[in-house]
Amino acid sequence: MAVDPKMKFLVVDDFSTMRRIVRNLLKELGFTNVDEAEDGAIALQRLQGGGFDFVVTDWNMPNMDGLTLLQTIRSTPNLKHLPVLMITAEAKKENIIAAAQSGASGYIVKPFTAGTLSEKLNKIFEKMGML
Amino acid sequence: MTAVNDSNDLEALFDSIAADAPSITKPPVPAPAAIDEENDSDDLQALFDTVATDYKAPTAPPPPANPPPAAAKPAASVQPAASDPVAATNWPNQQQNVFNNIGKMARQLHDTIHELGYDKLLEKTASALPDAKDRLAYVANLTEQAACRVLNACDVTNPLIDEIENGSKVLSQRWEMLYSNQLSVDEFKQLATETRIYLKQQVPQRTKASRAQLNEIMMAQDFQDLTGQVIKKIVNLAQELESGLMSVLLEVVPDDHRTQEVTDLLNGPVINADGRSDVVVNQQQVDDLLESLGF
Repeated sequence: MAVDPKMKFLVVDDFSTMRRIVRNLLKELGFTNVDEAEDGAIALQRLQGGGFDFVVTDWNMPNMDGLTLLQTIRSTPNLKHLPVLMITAEAKKENIIAAAQSGASGYIVKPFTAGTLSEKLNKIFEKMGML
Repeated sequence: MTAVNDSNDLEALFDSIAADAPSITKPPVPAPAAIDEENDSDDLQALFDTVATDYKAPTAPPPPANPPPAAAKPAASVQPAASDPVAATNWPNQQQNVFNNIGKMARQLHDTIHELGYDKLLEKTASALPDAKDRLAYVANLTEQAACRVLNACDVTNPLIDEIENGSKVLSQRWEMLYSNQLSVDEFKQLATETRIYLKQQVPQRTKASRAQLNEIMMAQDFQDLTGQVIKKIVNLAQELESGLMSVLLEVVPDDHRTQEVTDLLNGPVINADGRSDVVVNQQQVDDLLESLGF
C-alpha cells in the first residue's frame, strides 16, 4: 500500500462538530496528520502555506464556499493537483454536477457513514495510483 | 417574536404601526410591547392593581375576537386596542385575550402593510415560514435519532465493561490467594494460564468492541446542541403563526405568487424529498449520478 499514513489533510467546515467528526474518522483510518479550517478563505491561506496532500471540504460556508474553494484550487498552479473531497448537505443534482465539472475528486452527502468516507478515500487513492 | 432574530423589516414595520396610533395606544400600554410575556405580566399586574383599588365601570367591552370586515380600516382597528388592558385584567381569560390581541394585530398588520405596499415583503415571509417549520422539525427528528444511537451504544458497551471488571476481580482474588500461600502449584499454573488468556484475548476483544461503540457515540453528535423540547415548542409557535398570518395573507396574495422556488446552489440539507426529482436522497444516488456522467 503506497498510501502514506503521514499525508497531511485539511478539513474545511464551518461547524466544529463536523470538523471533529471528520478528524476522528480520518484518525480511525490511520491518518493523524490533520489540520482544520473554518471556511474557504482560511483554507486557501493554509493551503498556500504548503505541505498539504488532501482537502476535505464542506460546501455551504461563510466568506468562501466549498465550490469556490475547489475552483480556486483547480485554477492555482501549485495547488491544482490536490485531491478535493466534498462532504456536504447540498443534495441537488445540479450541485453534484457543478462539483464534478469543477474538478471535485469525490462527493459525499451528509449525513454520511465512516464506511462511505473510507470507500471514497480509497477510490481517490486508487485513481491517484496510490493503491 | 422580538426574541427571534426576525427580519429588521418586520421590526421596522411593527415600529411604524406603533407610531401610527400613538395618541390612543400609548397611554395605557405600548401596543407592540404587549407581546413580550414578562414585561406584559408586570404591566398587566400593575394595571390590575390600579383597577382593583380604583374601581370604576369598564370603559369599553372586550374587543370582538374577529372584527367584522367593516372594522378593517386602520382607524377602526386601532380603536379597540385602547381597551386591551382592561380586558386583560380578567386573568382567567388572559390567554383568550392574548389570542384576540394577536388576531387583531394580524389584522392591523395586514391593513397597514397593504396600504404601505409592503405586501411583497409579507408574501416572502409567508413562503419562508413553512420552510422554517420543516427545518426545525427536521432538526428535532435528527436529535431524537442521535439520542437513540447514543443510548443503544451505551447499552452495548456497559456489559462489556462489566465483563472486564468482573474478570479482573476474579483473577485478582486468586492472585491474592497465591500471595497468601493458599494455592497449590497446579492451581497456580491454572491461574497463570487463565490470566494470560484474559490479558491476551478477553480484554482486547472487549476494549475493541467498546471503542467501536465510542465511535458510534461520536458519530451521533453530528447535530448541534439543540434540545428537542425547545424545538418542538418553536415548531408549534411557527404553526400558530403560520395559520394565523396565512389566513390573513391569502386574502391579498394572488394564487400564482404563493410559491417561489429557490434555484441557487446553496440550499442546505433537503428537508423533504418526496415528489422531487431534482435532489438525491443517499450516497448511492450521488455515485450513480456521477457515474452516469462519466466522472
